[in-house]
Amino acid sequence: MKRVSNRTFLFFLLASISLVLLVLSSSGHLAPVEGQLGRVTKPFLVAFNGLGRQISNVFETVRSLSTLRTLNSQLQTQVDTLTIENLRLQEAEAENQRLRELLRFKQLNPIYDFSGGQIIARVLSQGSTNYLSTLTIDLGSGQGIKAGMPVVTERGLVGRIYKVGPDSATVLLITDPSSGVQALVERNRAVGVVNGRAGSLPVMDYIPQDADISVGDLVLTSGLGGTFPKSLVIGQVVEVNKRDFDMFQQAVVRPTVNFDRLEFVLVITNFQPLPGEPGELESVG
Amino acid sequence: MQSQTRPSLDIYLSLLVLALVVIAQGTLFSRLRIFDVGPNLLLVTTVCWSLVQNMASGLVWGFAGGLGADLITGMPLGTSSLALMAPCLLAGFGRKTVFASNLVLPVLLVGLATPLHGWIVLLSQQAQGRSIAWLSTTAQVILPEMALNALLAVIIFPLLRGLALGIGITPLEK
Repeated sequence: MKRVSNRTFLFFLLASISLVLLVLSSSGHLAPVEGQLGRVTKPFLVAFNGLGRQISNVFETVRSLSTLRTLNSQLQTQVDTLTIENLRLQEAEAENQRLRELLRFKQLNPIYDFSGGQIIARVLSQGSTNYLSTLTIDLGSGQGIKAGMPVVTERGLVGRIYKVGPDSATVLLITDPSSGVQALVERNRAVGVVNGRAGSLPVMDYIPQDADISVGDLVLTSGLGGTFPKSLVIGQVVEVNKRDFDMFQQAVVRPTVNFDRLEFVLVITNFQPLPGEPGELESVG
Repeated sequence: MQSQTRPSLDIYLSLLVLALVVIAQGTLFSRLRIFDVGPNLLLVTTVCWSLVQNMASGLVWGFAGGLGADLITGMPLGTSSLALMAPCLLAGFGRKTVFASNLVLPVLLVGLATPLHGWIVLLSQQAQGRSIAWLSTTAQVILPEMALNALLAVIIFPLLRGLALGIGITPLEK
């Protein structure tokens, strides 16, 4: 007869005990014993459970750090997106405001007979150099733009159409040395010509010596010569040059339009400049 | 005189270690979830102890530790004991190989013991009338646990070997 080893015997003994316990425990016969044993082990379990909770919290914190970092990254991306969106909306609001002002200008100037006339044009580029003060707009002959048409904003006179292409046009600014605008001083109706100057503010020439010109006077288009409509705001007198031996006095005019920040202009399309006016006007279309 | 006190000291120390392992398994390791499963410290310790000491000692640890684990987890008493003792048999066979002192053996044995342990637990639960999804449980619980337990064995085996050497326990049988 084969001898059963001690460890085999031990295994079967413990396995048998385990099976008996399993059957008894499953049937509920060991519930009182389990309850008592549970009571004994409870303090240890509570203590270790507290320790386990703390260790778990440490792991949870570490795990949360990674999640928080990811979340932070996502939120940062979202903030960036919203910032860009916000800037875009602010830009749209500003653009809307500017267009409203242009519209208000149109409504406040019914004397110009703007019916079917003014076109809101987007400034494409500002080509002002030391030698030529121009800007380009995204309207051309296709949109009914013709050379010589006055260009304005709600703040005042900008210039006139200089060159016309199929879909764009160049505007000669009133600050360009080749530009001359028949003007008058609003307060006393003294007339003159506002000429652009390279690198400095335009000057109002040919003002009679006896005219009372003061700093702060508003200068408007006079409508004389038929180049521009009447009463468009040009600028404000910032300096008066009056010498007794000259036939005329001069006034330096600061344009009310800020040419550096132009984005929208209006082209007065129903105004026809008189023929023979500035020879520099040409069509490239 | 010294030879009489040493075995009792070893037993108490072993019981203390076992108790700590059982409580740690029920409290600390039950919270540690990786891939939605946790490593089984008690299983790893029992298998490694069987290799460090001997199969009989491993069986005792498996039996006692299993009872403690069942008490903590609320499973019917004896379930874990049965599931832990079977892997000890594996460990007993592994001791006879040339890799007995190598770290590869405990890792391999723990890897094999994990599904054995898991299936015995599942079988006992099915015997009690519970519906068991064998395939999905094996794929989603047992397989990840195998990897975790194998990794844990890399840490536990040297510790237990150091403990055994420290308290002067030598294998009772080869």
